[in-house]
Amino acid sequence: MTDNEIIDLFFERSEQAIDELAAAHGTAVRRVALNILGDLRDAEECVNDTWLGVWNAIPPERPSPLRTYVCTIARNLAAKRYHADRAKKRESRYDLVLDELAECVGGGDSAEDQTAARELAGAIDRFLGGLEYTDRFLFMRRYWFADSLQESAEMAGMTYGAVSVRLHRIREKLRKQLIKEGLLE
Amino acid sequence: MLDQNTLFDALADADDAYIQSAASLLGYEKEDNMRSVPFARRRLSRAVLIAAVIAALLAVTVMASFFAFSTRVPAADETFRIHWSDAEGGYLDWKNAKLVVSFPETAESNEVEFRPGWLPFALPEKLPLSDPWQGLTDETWFRRFTAESLCWAELEDDPAVYEDISQPLEIEVYAMSQFNDGGAMLMLYQTPGEITEEHYDAQDADVLRFRGTQRFEARPEFGLPERTSEYSYVLLSNAREGWVIAVRGQLDMDTLVKVAKNLEIRPTGETATYDDFENHFLFFDGGVG
Repeated sequence: MTDNEIIDLFFERSEQAIDELAAAHGTAVRRVALNILGDLRDAEECVNDTWLGVWNAIPPERPSPLRTYVCTIARNLAAKRYHADRAKKRESRYDLVLDELAECVGGGDSAEDQTAARELAGAIDRFLGGLEYTDRFLFMRRYWFADSLQESAEMAGMTYGAVSVRLHRIREKLRKQLIKEGLLE
Repeated sequence: MLDQNTLFDALADADDAYIQSAASLLGYEKEDNMRSVPFARRRLSRAVLIAAVIAALLAVTVMASFFAFSTRVPAADETFRIHWSDAEGGYLDWKNAKLVVSFPETAESNEVEFRPGWLPFALPEKLPLSDPWQGLTDETWFRRFTAESLCWAELEDDPAVYEDISQPLEIEVYAMSQFNDGGAMLMLYQTPGEITEEHYDAQDADVLRFRGTQRFEARPEFGLPERTSEYSYVLLSNAREGWVIAVRGQLDMDTLVKVAKNLEIRPTGETATYDDFENHFLFFDGGVG
């Protein structure tokens, strides 16, 4: 079933829409949730919350591409769920990803107390747009999908060490760009 | 306050096109299956590439027999047991190495440190994430120097020469005694090209230098073109003192040679023997390749 046909089922309010969505994109959503939460049961609950979120959003939305849309919902829900349960032991890959991202903002203060999320997202888009394809791919796999370095290395046909070094460099670039755009001092 | 959580959340709003292009392997079984095909192709093409280079290297090995270094291309099934803390049991049994560099037996290595007398970039006075780096002074001597953060720090714009580079320059000291009794420095991933042997009088060093290349097949399923990663290697060694210094990176060979020829080298007063090392194999293209 195509994405458009799945969306049509949502518009018809057919519960089959959830089954079809899960069949088409369930693995992707589950993987994002598991990468962030690090716990199968938590991830499964997050996946179910994601289906509910999609059910509530379509209609009126008609997202394209559908997979990116549901993965974004899952990623946001997983991060929210993780923060709500901070008492748990630091064992998720999400912790590692956050630690690495801290390098981009560490040692500096934001120019304003409350940085506008839209401004930051714009800066990130410009940063991503300026990256060479491989760098952008590796950055997104690590910091959007929270993939492990080894997984990213295998996908890109690179060594673990090369990916690690390259991500270090990309984080430095992001930090410099955030400073240049006045989002970080 | 801009922190890592804000950054992670803001990434959620990244352009769909960027997310989509990075997501192409995510969760699709048919695409997972495709992953094995390019890797298999890569292994085959790599074998062909290696076979082509082996013939050239065998001639080089004969020439190298009068030199302090000894190089050889190992058989594909020759196994090297490398200490590897991440591996199960703490060791990695590696086959299909591309080059073995051996050294004279050395009972005791006199350890050295170095100071770059010339670098292709200006060093910053301070590094925001690398305290206590305070720039390069007359008192700054190194056992290891890595430039991936140094040469970009505090530069307004990256010089064009560093575009698409992960590791422009790395310099590291080794003790020859580490490689006694069959130990060696290995190339695991990259295929070496023509090997040049020289002697640098200023450093009193025998020198082995070559380019290493690693070819990557195109990965059209997520938009990666076919590409070749290239590194330059300049190995300096002094058999009498028992030290080895590796100068390597993605900068061109002429630049690395200039760095190597301008190294100031001095003894630290410390010594090292075979027993000081748990691992007697080191691979010099990992972490930079």
